[in-house]
Amino acid sequence: MSSENSTDLLRQEVRAWLQENVPAGWREAMTNVDQELFFEAQRDWFKKLSAAGYATPHWPEGWPGGGRSLAEQKVIYEEVARADAPRLILYFVALYHAACTLMECGSKEQQEKYLPGILNGEIWCQGFSEPNAGSDLASLKTKAERRGDKYIINGQKTWSTMAQYADRCLLLCRTDNSGPPQAGLTYLLLDMKSPGVSVVPIHQITGDDEFAEIFFDDVEVSVDDLVGEEGNGWAVAQATLASERGLTLVELSQRMRYSLSFLAEAMQANGTSEDPVLRRELGNVIARVDGACALADQYLLKRISHQEQVGDASLVKLYYAQALRAYTTLGRKIAGLDGMFDPGFMRGATQETGNWPLDFMNSYNWSIAGGSNEIQRNIISERMLKMPREPKSWKWEGGR
Amino acid sequence: MNEFLKELQDSARQVMEGAGTPAKEESTWGQLVELGWLLTAVPEELDGLGLGADALCMLSGELGRNLSEAPFLPAALAIEALVQSGLENKAELLAGLTMGGELATASLAGSDVTASGSGDSLTLNGKLVAVQSADNASQLLVWSNDSQCVALVAADQAAVEAVSRPGWDVTRRLFDVTLNGAAGVALAQGAEAEALVARLLNLRDFAMAADSLGGANALLELTIVHLTDRVQFARPLASFQALKHRCADLKVEIAAAEALLNDSLLKIEGQLGSDDAVFRGKKAKYLASATYSKVAEECLQLSGGIGMASEYPCHLYLKRSMLSEHLGSQGSYEADIAEAFLRQLSI
Ligand SMILES: Cc1cc2nc3c(=O)[nH]c(=O)nc-3n(C[C@H](O)[C@H](O)[C@H](O)COP(=O)(O)OP(=O)(O)OC[C@H]3O[C@@H](n4cnc5c(N)ncnc54)[C@H](O)[C@@H]3O)c2cc1C
Repeated sequence: MSSENSTDLLRQEVRAWLQENVPAGWREAMTNVDQELFFEAQRDWFKKLSAAGYATPHWPEGWPGGGRSLAEQKVIYEEVARADAPRLILYFVALYHAACTLMECGSKEQQEKYLPGILNGEIWCQGFSEPNAGSDLASLKTKAERRGDKYIINGQKTWSTMAQYADRCLLLCRTDNSGPPQAGLTYLLLDMKSPGVSVVPIHQITGDDEFAEIFFDDVEVSVDDLVGEEGNGWAVAQATLASERGLTLVELSQRMRYSLSFLAEAMQANGTSEDPVLRRELGNVIARVDGACALADQYLLKRISHQEQVGDASLVKLYYAQALRAYTTLGRKIAGLDGMFDPGFMRGATQETGNWPLDFMNSYNWSIAGGSNEIQRNIISERMLKMPREPKSWKWEGGR
Repeated sequence: MNEFLKELQDSARQVMEGAGTPAKEESTWGQLVELGWLLTAVPEELDGLGLGADALCMLSGELGRNLSEAPFLPAALAIEALVQSGLENKAELLAGLTMGGELATASLAGSDVTASGSGDSLTLNGKLVAVQSADNASQLLVWSNDSQCVALVAADQAAVEAVSRPGWDVTRRLFDVTLNGAAGVALAQGAEAEALVARLLNLRDFAMAADSLGGANALLELTIVHLTDRVQFARPLASFQALKHRCADLKVEIAAAEALLNDSLLKIEGQLGSDDAVFRGKKAKYLASATYSKVAEECLQLSGGIGMASEYPCHLYLKRSMLSEHLGSQGSYEADIAEAFLRQLSI
């Protein structure tokens, strides 16, 4: 059987399964719903999707749902997007960031200890950013001190998505101050129920509170939960961040593509379908969204065939973030004044709810988190286009 | 792009590197005929290379890099039309148009032509605009308004009048051509002609997209070299983040338009002219020529005063990009894209 046929078969199979199983009317059900019901819906959907073997197509052979070829992974992402299935937001960090980091850098024991938990629905969060270490992540200060077979953690993380619900945390800490900032970092796996951990949710501009601050007061982590070597945390963190830029954007670009129909529906709903200016802008957005999909696909192909070059991932993320901004901006424009009167939100849909101001605000997730647009531009210009780096020395000459 | 095409591209780039910017019409035309570039899309049974639209686009891209003045695209369109036709003497005609150095040219924009008669006794009336290098052509490729007829028209008859339209873009010499009851030979009529017109316009969109991206890439590279060499405030300009970020933005726009073009060419293989391929062609052409203009506009600013000097090539790219945005099917590409999308949704 040719691979073309086998992906065709898989497509049919996935499509049929989704038709049967995507919770009907989930968008309505998840609008202005409380946290508990949302969690329940996420848990149910995750259980179903992973039982069917479609939650972990990016996992390696030997793991449930894993061992899919690139073409097969793409088929699954495309079909999930096409079927307008809810996103597994609660499990996103677990399935991608945590799993990819463990697969790439974790020990066999760590993989065996944690990956089954992820399949069982454990929630993970990422504890990298700190109040004074955002774009300049390497300057982070949360301290991990080795005492016997334990690390003692003190400090603070912030903007950690889903931290208030998380079972575990991917924690980047400082174990050494003597060398260059990147050299003294260490990557740990933390049980969020450990004594000394406290979490304070941050209320967001969208009305949601999906990220939080995490405080550490003499929190103990066993050395068994050290990923890689002490002092080698920067390299491990890169594996975590790469998972976000590669695979997930293939799915998210496809979702944006299928969500283009929301723009058409919005035009129909308020009688602007024939407006020539809006139609032109729609044409522009369609071309850009298709460009984002093509770029993400091309990136994945390069990655799989080991032809990835420095900056490729940044191109994908920067273009996606900008296309998403353009898409949601046009939605706002179409919705007009009426769009401003419904401050509700829909859970599980992230930036594609059809509530345009909400989607527009959520589009900033992609231009700020995971390395902002400006940081991607630095990477592209310096490492891809080989333009000179910023001068290192710098003197403050003025006051405020 | 497969290995073979990559090799072809490398050699094409080498050839074009010696051709200057802009690559002069006469020498470039001679060279591309000699190298067999016009044989790319001709099937092997007609002594061609049997390569597809992707090869044609690759070559268009290389020519675009050097702002080639040679009428490669219209020639390729006429050859494609002939290949698709059932004309008896097509092998002989093809030999002249591919390796013989004879030029059959075509409109790069719109035309307003009616045809009557059939076979080799057609009569054509109307006007073609933006016909490239018409004064060097022995034949014109023409299609009628209703797409019911695609024809070859000999250029040397009294009923054919070509008037030069000097324009801002000096890298392509365009003509308006009037047909006053000109005689022509049908390449296709009726439904076959309709399909052929769709195919030709589709191919034209893809090739124009490639030309635009070739130019955009070359200009961005040129500009980055300039910014790196030029020192102000005791630093290379290229070290200023305000300028670096703009270059990064141009790079990402080019990368996405390129990915879209390549992905489309892969997906349409063998389906040139189908509704889906036409839709993809529109998107690729639109995104590529919009990107080209944006790159050219920005690069003029990034070049500073030298960008305003005619000896520096930046303005040539700018003018070519501005023209390219208006070439192709007339009317708005954005509006066409939206319409095709809305039509698909309602199915
Ligand atoms: C929705 C969301 C979810 C997040 N989830 C997580 C999470 O789960 N875990 C986690 O660890 N973190 C998370 N973050 C944090 C995120 O990684 C940081 O917000 C991001 O790295 C930017 O850091 P900052 O917010 O401190 O901005 P700053 O670094 O203070 O940047 C402020 C502005 O300055 C610009 N800037 C900064 N440096 C430069 C430079 N060198 N050149 C040019 N411009 C520059 C930035 O682009 C930005 O526009 C999340 C953020 C958001 C918005």
